[in-house]
Amino acid sequence: MSSHAATIDHHHDSTTSTGIPNKKLLWWAFLASDCMFFGTLISTHLVYRLNPPPGNAIPTQVFNIELTSFSTFILLMSSLLMALAVNAIQRGNVRSTRTMLLGTMFFGCIFLGGQVYEFGHFVHMKHMTLSNSLFGSTFYTLTGTHGTHVAIGVLLLGMMYVRTFKPAAGGGLSMNFLHMLAVAVAAGVAFIVFVPGMIEIIYGAGIGEFLSSHAVPLSVGAAACIAMAWFARQSSTVEFGEKNAIDVEAVGLYWHFVDIVWIIIFTAVYLLEYL
Amino acid sequence: MTRTRSAHRKVLRFAIALIAGFSLALSSGCNKLHQVFSLSGPQSTMVTEGPVAKSQWDLFMVTVYVTTFIFIVVGAVLAYAQIKFRAKSDADEHAAVPAEAGHGNPFVEIGLIAGSVALLVIIAIPTLSGIWYTHDVPEAERGNAIDVTATGYQWWFKFDYNAEMMPLPGGGEAALVTGNELVVPAGTPVRVHLRTIDVIHSFWIPKLAGKVDMMPNRPNFVWFKADKPGYYYGQCAEYCGESHAIMRFRVIALSAADYVKWLANQKQPARTVTVQTAAADAALPHVQFASLTLNDGRAFGGSPGFDADPLTAWRKIQQPAASENASLIAAGRKLFKDKTCVSCHTIRGHDGAGIVGPDLTHIGARSSVAAGALENTPERLHQWIKDPEYFKPGNKMFHGFGGMQGYMKPDDKGGTVPNIVLNDQEIDALVAYLHSLK
Amino acid sequence: MAEALAKSEFTGTGHAPAKSFELFARPTAKTGLVGWLTTVDHKKIGMLYGGFAILFFLIGGLEALLIRTQLIVPNNRFISAQLYNELFTMHGTTMIFLAVMPLNAAFFNLLVPIQVGARDVAFPRLNAFSLWVWVAGATLLNVGWISHLVPSWNFGGAPDVGWFGYSPLTSKVFTPDLSTDFWVLGIQMLGLSSIVASLNFIVTIINMRAPGLTMMRLPVFTWMALVTSFLLILALPAIAIALVEVMFDRNFGTNFFEVSGGGQPILWQHLFWVFGHPEVYILILPPMGYVSEILPTFSRKPLFGYPIVIFSGVAIGFIGFGVWSHHMFTTGLGTVATAAFAIATMAIAVPTGVKIFNWIGTLWGGHIVTRVPMMFALGFIWMFMLGGFSGIMHAAAPADAQQQDSYFVIAHFHYVLIGGATFALLAAIHFWFPKFFGRMVPEFWGKVSFWLIFVGFNCTFFPMHFLGLNGMPRRTWIYDSNMGWNEGNLFATIGAYLLGLGIFTYFAVLVYSFFKGQKCGNDPWDARTLEWSIPSPPPEHNFAAIPQVHARDAWWYEKTHQEEIAKEKAANIKAEEAHGGIHIPDQSWYPIIAGMGLLFGTYNLAQLKHPVVMFGNQVLGSHAPLAIAGLSIVVLACYLWSLEGPGGYHIHLDADGNAKESGGYHH
Repeated sequence: MSSHAATIDHHHDSTTSTGIPNKKLLWWAFLASDCMFFGTLISTHLVYRLNPPPGNAIPTQVFNIELTSFSTFILLMSSLLMALAVNAIQRGNVRSTRTMLLGTMFFGCIFLGGQVYEFGHFVHMKHMTLSNSLFGSTFYTLTGTHGTHVAIGVLLLGMMYVRTFKPAAGGGLSMNFLHMLAVAVAAGVAFIVFVPGMIEIIYGAGIGEFLSSHAVPLSVGAAACIAMAWFARQSSTVEFGEKNAIDVEAVGLYWHFVDIVWIIIFTAVYLLEYL
Repeated sequence: MTRTRSAHRKVLRFAIALIAGFSLALSSGCNKLHQVFSLSGPQSTMVTEGPVAKSQWDLFMVTVYVTTFIFIVVGAVLAYAQIKFRAKSDADEHAAVPAEAGHGNPFVEIGLIAGSVALLVIIAIPTLSGIWYTHDVPEAERGNAIDVTATGYQWWFKFDYNAEMMPLPGGGEAALVTGNELVVPAGTPVRVHLRTIDVIHSFWIPKLAGKVDMMPNRPNFVWFKADKPGYYYGQCAEYCGESHAIMRFRVIALSAADYVKWLANQKQPARTVTVQTAAADAALPHVQFASLTLNDGRAFGGSPGFDADPLTAWRKIQQPAASENASLIAAGRKLFKDKTCVSCHTIRGHDGAGIVGPDLTHIGARSSVAAGALENTPERLHQWIKDPEYFKPGNKMFHGFGGMQGYMKPDDKGGTVPNIVLNDQEIDALVAYLHSLK
Repeated sequence: MAEALAKSEFTGTGHAPAKSFELFARPTAKTGLVGWLTTVDHKKIGMLYGGFAILFFLIGGLEALLIRTQLIVPNNRFISAQLYNELFTMHGTTMIFLAVMPLNAAFFNLLVPIQVGARDVAFPRLNAFSLWVWVAGATLLNVGWISHLVPSWNFGGAPDVGWFGYSPLTSKVFTPDLSTDFWVLGIQMLGLSSIVASLNFIVTIINMRAPGLTMMRLPVFTWMALVTSFLLILALPAIAIALVEVMFDRNFGTNFFEVSGGGQPILWQHLFWVFGHPEVYILILPPMGYVSEILPTFSRKPLFGYPIVIFSGVAIGFIGFGVWSHHMFTTGLGTVATAAFAIATMAIAVPTGVKIFNWIGTLWGGHIVTRVPMMFALGFIWMFMLGGFSGIMHAAAPADAQQQDSYFVIAHFHYVLIGGATFALLAAIHFWFPKFFGRMVPEFWGKVSFWLIFVGFNCTFFPMHFLGLNGMPRRTWIYDSNMGWNEGNLFATIGAYLLGLGIFTYFAVLVYSFFKGQKCGNDPWDARTLEWSIPSPPPEHNFAAIPQVHARDAWWYEKTHQEEIAKEKAANIKAEEAHGGIHIPDQSWYPIIAGMGLLFGTYNLAQLKHPVVMFGNQVLGSHAPLAIAGLSIVVLACYLWSLEGPGGYHIHLDADGNAKESGGYHH
């Protein structure tokens, strides 16, 4: 069909009854459903927060509100980068799209790293586990589900990023897979090891100690980053372009949604405790 | 198309023959067709014996009247349309079709909606007043009400008389406890606080009040009042595991005077029978149980004599049996201790402080055993003690509970081996002992 | 007409697909095992849903007959208490999740794309994925039966916690065996399947309508499919989360419903019924759709009050989310909440009543042809009306305190779900059978089965009203002979056998018709919607030309404006051919691989903490590695799936409408 049209209308798809692209509508419907998932989790949390059993954890004694506020800010900023990525691809600028996607992923990893740090801190220092208090059960399940959403978002962004390198000539499954693997490993090391380590260091842990105790994962992560750089060097023409704006936009929808949900969770779970 | 029409007639004939044959078979085979629609059983919600159940039944009848009215009107129109507008010929079946788009008629639609709303309001008003009435004892009678706590266990009910405190031997006091039979004064409102020790159960005495669930971590209650003395059947109405079907209980309503007498007796520690007291009690009326008719010798329920007048049967069983064998009873008491029954059951004044199973201090004066499954006759009690798993699969007395061993105990290989073994003589002694506990 | 042509594109993105990655060659077999396992054709997927659903419908029926046999006389010892509990749990679960829902899904698949004038659903591979995830869930739910046959596979039998799985009965303390774990994950899989399928249908119905097919021209069935899909995506999350919480309680020591840790079992009931009540409408709205198609066809008259029927369906969907606590009137909600839910429940009777009025309005002044589908549809109205009346009785909360969890409730919801949903489904199967198999079902035997089912059904369930009023509680394995329940139960059991005979006759006749039925043309019933405009059975591409819709009852309009339509069609075919022919998406292995990966993963996840034992030897300390392996298969399959792309090839029609394929452009 209109594959060679000079301009692509990003706001109207003439092939559908409503003008909304199918993929976008699918995401919207999914997000409506996802609202109910989070709605259920948040209700569970609030129900038990309002009817706490004896011996429940006391939230304000557990939370580290400064750190969570910071990671909330980072997640909000990632939405800005996501919007820039969509904007870039709508203008057909693949290079800028890649940068913005990587930036979004990186910010997402900072947020996730904050959560990994937070969970570890709550379990080991504050002694609140999934099973030793009802607050722990609802808190970890709710924020964990959100964290999983962010992690899936990072993965989707990674897939989108790798997809931007798909050669126009076709083929290259193994290359694609290895590239994807490098992205996944780099992101994984970033949020499981690197970011929590950095937070520890900010809170006063020794850099040398951190480097030596996490040498293996950090070197794997570094290798993955080098691999990413190597994969990103190729310059042959790629298939990805302005016509893929809808794909980036769809992932963007999801990303923004996850962001908005976090604002609600941050308010309902954290901020309300300080009122 | 003609083929279809003749087929149609054939079907009609077939259907009529079928229905006729079926009803004939039923009326001859079952012979009591009216009993299919019987509403007068011991758990009937129609034969109400108290104001709560009555208000619920009256409301139900309002809904029946309203829906019957709707059914007659709508059903008549539907039936009329079905007959009147039937295609009567092949030509009719291919008749040209009116071209209008079928928007319906707004006046008809709105009229019907308004009519339905009006009919629903007729139901809604008594519903609302009923919700508040059935919720708690009316203000005027509240001072008069007695409070009881019912606790659901898999699969039996414990009743605590919160106001009837008794001193404990070691100091302190505890409420009077019974199991599976709740005795209340007639004409007095009773507020039953509903608790559960394990899963959700539901407390239902159809002739006295609709059910309210026993929810963990949730203090529910229900109230009822029995109009007159009587013997009422209740049953757990929320699925609660393997033997949910056999989690039954009784409510016995007595006149105020009888109730006071009953309470006084219940507060007594367990009765001890010696050779002397047995001789003295021989003068008391002799309890004669109706003969049992059992299909396989071990069926459930009460005997026909019992079922005919359960309250009288209950009164009889309050009295000691005429011929009590003091030495057999003493042997039973020893067995009750030796066979570790005491670890789960309490017989206040004798032995045991177990709270896992029902309190048996006055078991001899209860009309049923095994949570209302069996009439409390010597034969039935014998059968129950001998093979509890048959009557109530999964029961804790057989399987053990929370580290407490029952008839079976775990072995090293993850299986189970017998733990409590009783022969018929031993069971006879236990039955004699338990039945002496009036 | 360019717009119309564009709609034959599935991807909807309006650009030529590029060369895609390949691991497996894309399957091309149209028949045989590979053809069915890799199909993305909505009609074949619909057939698979239907076939599996009918299989489970019969299994669920068998379970019901065993239950009724146990209850035929008081204190019967035909089956054990444990087995009885498994049977009623699985009867409920099977009939709801594995029979009625997938039968509706079958009709969504078979009919919705054709009724909206499309060539497939919006996301054909996703559609196949829904099917295989459903198969995975159905398998997990039933896997426990094997314990009865092979005792060394000790799963503790089939699930036995009731289809509602009320906590804390589902706690490890009270059901330590694996049956509950399988139940939790099985329902979870079925929910996943339904959500994914519903998203697909929402997009299909909203976005893939043929030109001219405005929302207010959509067939009522498609409308009800849309409302149902929204109900599914909005209701299922509540139970999905609740199931996750139960799973965590059982496996990871959380306290959501653990009473000792402060958990509130009432919360499970709220979450369950927030899903469970919309679920009731999920079961009944599509049947209302079938009936709304069948009644006009056999009354030879358009549906009376189409907009009001649609709006009442939507209203039912909305109010359906606000009445869940009427399942919990006996849990001590308090007076105000009870009153609010009682009133809301009465309110929902109004739009339901409106539908019945409009169906009667449709009959009024028509020429009623009582063929078998029509008989089932009329039976539906009568029986559903009775079920509705007992529903109103339950809305009166104090009266419900006597009926809740008694046989009265059983009578009520079987009137709604058999007299309602199942009658409509049987009508629908009979009605659309000629369309999808090209053969008619013999009228005579159809009517015999109708009368057997009708009489058997009423004999079984009408006495249950009285059993309930006479105080017989549900889910009881035995009852006593002195309760006045003997005759009612005997009567009901005999009725159940008759009903079973009727159902057997019904399906036996279908099997006969499949092989020997009289062949039929496009439109044997002189019907009204687009599916009757295409050959029976429909070709893979459904429409030679995407239809232009001019009115409600689009096919009726075509029949009455033949010249105009013929011209339009010829032009459309030509235009489409000029653009490369009819686009058909490629088959794919990944949906079934992902689905089976999920089955393997969840099968092991259910047994997470148990050691893996093979031939009596312990192989692994826990099932965790296997569970992770299964879920990795899913992730990998999804990854390859996304790289594979929708693909596709073109079909070219010759002058007679015969199809000829041209090469796929992914090669």
